[in-house]
Amino acid sequence: MSHGPSASAGAIIRSGHHDDAPYEPVFVGEAKVRLDELVKRYPRKVGALLPALWMVQEARGWVSEAGMAEVAAQLDVTPAYVKGVVTFYTMYNQHPVGKYLIQVCTTTPCHVCGAEDVVRAFLDQTGCGELGVTSEDGRYTVIEVECLGACGFATPVMVNSDFLESVSADRVADVLGRYR
Amino acid sequence: MPKLFVDEREVTVPDGATILDAARSIDVPVPTLCWYPKLPVVGNCRICLVSVEGNPKLVPACATQAADGMKVTTESAAAVRSRQGVLSLLLERYPVEQIPEGSSRNEFEEYVRRYNVPTTRSRELPLRTGDERREDPIIQHDMSTCILCTRCVRACADIQVVGVLDVAHRGEFAQIVVGADGNPEHASCTWCGECVRVCPTGAIHDIIPMAVRAASGEMVERMRSRDMPSPDRTVRAVCPYCGVGCQIDLQVRDEKVIHVKSPWIEEETPNEGSTCVKGRFGTDFIQHRDRLKTPMIRRGWIRQGDTWSYDASRNGDERWGRRGGPWDLVAEEGVTAKRRPRTNPLRTNPTGPSTLGDPQDRVAIPDDWYEPFREATWEEAMSLTAQELTRIRDTYSPEALAVFQSAKCTNEENYLLQRLFRGGIGTNNVDHCTRLCHSSSVAAMQRAMNTSAASGSMREVEHESDVIFILGANTTESHPVFGAAIKRAVRRGATLIVCDPRRIELAARARIHLQAMPGTDVAVMNGMVHHILAMGLEAKEFIAERTHDFDRLRDAVQPYTPERAEQISGVPASLIRQAAEAYARGPRSSTLWAMGLSQHSTGTDIVASLLNLILVTGSIGRWGAAMIPIRGQNNVQGASDVGAIPMFYTDYQTVTSPEIRHKFTSTWGVPDERVPLTPGLKVTQIVGAGSPVRGMYIMGENPILSDPDVSHAEQWFRSLEFLAVHDLFLTETARYADVVLPGASFAEKDGTFVNTERRIQLTRKAIDPPGQARQDLDIVIELSNRIGLPTPFENAAQVMEEIAKVTPSWRGVSHARLDGTGGLQYPVDSPTHMGTAFLFDKGFPTEDGKARFVAVEFLPAAELPDDEFPFLLNTGRQMYHWHTGTMTRRSFALDARESTPTVELNPADALTLGVHEGEDVVVASRRAEVRIAVRLSKRVARRQVFIPMHYREAAANLLTNPVLDPYAHIPEFKVCAVSVKRAEPVQLDAGAQGRSVAVQGD
Repeated sequence: MSHGPSASAGAIIRSGHHDDAPYEPVFVGEAKVRLDELVKRYPRKVGALLPALWMVQEARGWVSEAGMAEVAAQLDVTPAYVKGVVTFYTMYNQHPVGKYLIQVCTTTPCHVCGAEDVVRAFLDQTGCGELGVTSEDGRYTVIEVECLGACGFATPVMVNSDFLESVSADRVADVLGRYR
Repeated sequence: MPKLFVDEREVTVPDGATILDAARSIDVPVPTLCWYPKLPVVGNCRICLVSVEGNPKLVPACATQAADGMKVTTESAAAVRSRQGVLSLLLERYPVEQIPEGSSRNEFEEYVRRYNVPTTRSRELPLRTGDERREDPIIQHDMSTCILCTRCVRACADIQVVGVLDVAHRGEFAQIVVGADGNPEHASCTWCGECVRVCPTGAIHDIIPMAVRAASGEMVERMRSRDMPSPDRTVRAVCPYCGVGCQIDLQVRDEKVIHVKSPWIEEETPNEGSTCVKGRFGTDFIQHRDRLKTPMIRRGWIRQGDTWSYDASRNGDERWGRRGGPWDLVAEEGVTAKRRPRTNPLRTNPTGPSTLGDPQDRVAIPDDWYEPFREATWEEAMSLTAQELTRIRDTYSPEALAVFQSAKCTNEENYLLQRLFRGGIGTNNVDHCTRLCHSSSVAAMQRAMNTSAASGSMREVEHESDVIFILGANTTESHPVFGAAIKRAVRRGATLIVCDPRRIELAARARIHLQAMPGTDVAVMNGMVHHILAMGLEAKEFIAERTHDFDRLRDAVQPYTPERAEQISGVPASLIRQAAEAYARGPRSSTLWAMGLSQHSTGTDIVASLLNLILVTGSIGRWGAAMIPIRGQNNVQGASDVGAIPMFYTDYQTVTSPEIRHKFTSTWGVPDERVPLTPGLKVTQIVGAGSPVRGMYIMGENPILSDPDVSHAEQWFRSLEFLAVHDLFLTETARYADVVLPGASFAEKDGTFVNTERRIQLTRKAIDPPGQARQDLDIVIELSNRIGLPTPFENAAQVMEEIAKVTPSWRGVSHARLDGTGGLQYPVDSPTHMGTAFLFDKGFPTEDGKARFVAVEFLPAAELPDDEFPFLLNTGRQMYHWHTGTMTRRSFALDARESTPTVELNPADALTLGVHEGEDVVVASRRAEVRIAVRLSKRVARRQVFIPMHYREAAANLLTNPVLDPYAHIPEFKVCAVSVKRAEPVQLDAGAQGRSVAVQGD
């Protein structure tokens, strides 16, 4: 199995996704209040850029180009600048992902401890088949990530914001059972 | 002041200068890619590395400060080796096969050749990619040649302060992106072309419409600028559009202007190398096929012997009558369904090729417009014009003749034309479109401080002002290059205060936006002055020493508490207070305004109230405290300066003084009594009922569309006994002429223009006028001589000699001095005087040197919304068009961007009316109605609509209220009451509809 690019690296998997439905803004009502609170924490509005993008990702599961434009308008920066930031990080999804985004660490210690098998098990049991591809039921997307900072508890896995340690291939079914 | 050695040459540079600055100051060519003058230094390309003695590593010349005693070697073996390395790495992802054998196409390739880097690629890396603007009609990208120097990113963000572009993705995938989604429209692109100018590889390039392919001579519809054949010559001209007065370089090949470039950024020009979309991409109208190429005479004019007479039975078609033709009146066209392209009518879609074929033909003149005319010789046209002008003068009186001069023509042409009508005919009925733009500003400034032009310069606003107060001026669209300078000033930290009924781009960037109801500015200004006095923030010393009548002002503003101002204008009192304090505290506050203040029936009062604010805070006469009425046209200042207005000779010398008259009549060689001592009629008095004028000469104006009441104006022009129009195209006005004289465009003449900061600049002739069209100067000279006014000039330089002789503040101006410079700001008192960047540091040009407060009361606009006409109509300009569209609607690029008339409507109002973006509405006033498409925009407040003035097929001025300001006779273009209703939908397909905006197939 190859170490493919992370599903978030938009430079490689360019999403063909173009939603024709009119864009529904994220920052309305309570979300707008939250953003305004966030902005107050920083000396300049643009300081709230990363958290604002997280809010978009929480609400939509990914950050669309229209979402970048909305964040740009909210924080008085240019859409191109926001895109530069979004595409710099792997943590923002640039195309839709499954209900559960499964991030498996495959950096050296985990690799030694069998992370490859964990990845394989996730791909097989979720039905995704390939890294970065969303399962047909829309439930899962599996990606490999660099070090999650838990080398003593290989293999760490993140399912959305849940952090799981010491996941082995035979625990995968159990894990998935918790995220249906 | 460090002293260092660069390549063994000693050089002293200012503190803080870099090694690169030192090298450039002695013309040592250090190669640079990411570095560009005036852009922030990023130091990422590493091609400018140089050796410094005692330093073990190479250092970047662009990012290393010069130090005393430094010994720099720019072409050391190590530096050259390093550069070769940099270049060969860049070549790994560059389409090397495109580099011509032994030569180069751009800056980057020049370095490749200079350092003998082999143009082979050793590894199979993919070429770079990026957003490509594939369907863009003006600017496109070929990112395979991008070297990621990021000049374009910084030019867009730091010079134009827009930020369309940025670098996205990481590592080997890093690339230039356009906004978030690749659509420049969504990224606020203004198509100014700054990115094109700075790109060192041609990866970002413009598209040249209707270009000739170099090798075959074959015509192609579009060509990449970087594939263009090299020009035969480059000619420096001054842009024909707004009052900023940008210098542009016209590249000429085979006697055609094939491309426009801007001057090098470090040259001293008003634009410092920038242009806007109109200057860079909008000058192709000069080669439009509609250009008039021969003189034309209306059918029915017969010559017997030396005498012309009109024979109605021979006019070609009796249905047309004396002055008609096979066309619809503007009012009739206003209510027809508008033909519009299927794609991009409102620019909400990504730009794409128009489905209507070549946009250059979209507003082409229908062939049948020429039917009432026959082609004539110059001799015929001139003799008929001279005969009729003389006949009307002798039959009635000189006052039965009038001339409209042109803010688009040079000072020399305007001077000679007013000389012809004053000295030759004997009338002061001389005016031009300044009447419709800043005449009220001039009236107010004359009254308060006896001046008629800006006191300061654009550069001081950009670099020095602490507070910039801008009123009724949508600068980023109407004067984009100056608008960018204001945005740079805001980024530098200047406080921007905007007073405008629309939430324009600058308003969104302003610290304070005073969103006043149109026409209520007097209340806002008086409220601000009231608050300043209440807080004791007035400039007491300035008021005491340099002004009169302060007491009157204090009494007059007493009732205008900020609360009362709020009631009248709708601006919260707290904002009025904040703005007043910020402005008064300055310390250097500049004041800019344009049509939003002047085009009102109370325009003079409105500007007067603003001048009170300027004087009460002493915000004038210091560097950084400028007063600038931003001029609309490239030579509206100059045309006024050289006497194209009814009450003044050149330099605002009054026509009522016998001594001044004698100075002019003796210069012209005519008797004193030839020229009356009474001011002539103004534009708005000449056109319309009760006017004594029976015959007119119009040079380069289109008054039928620019008059505040188009329907009446059109009828009035049809009733004239004689009309001669001298223009580039058969305009809506020219179609009613007896004689049409084909003139020359800005690119076809020598002469001078004056920009908004009193800067006199020379524009040079690049090409000959098409066909038999002639220089405007020649036409006026010949006509003058035929009328009997001796006019012995051969060229514009000689005319300028006479202007300098009779114009005190231009005494030191000559073409020789202006040639190759950034111009001179008058007053220029002597041939060695270097011009005047700002005025009034010592006194005002009044008798005692003091300015005068003129207390004014608020008066409401003449026609306000009511139940029947519940909306307030505002009119003005758009970014991509110009005045009556004569030029811009014939430009490929500009028409592709903005091809149809639209009305800006607040989305909340649209919801109430039940109309959607792009649907037609009928906008009606008490005078007329027009059918026009809706553009939803939160820029306009609720219950207000905005219609641009550029479109014949939905002429804003059918609707506007022709009521005039009592002092300046400027019409109230900015306020009238209208109703807005949904129009019956019509099929919007390409084939439908009538002749009104007919497309001519080739």
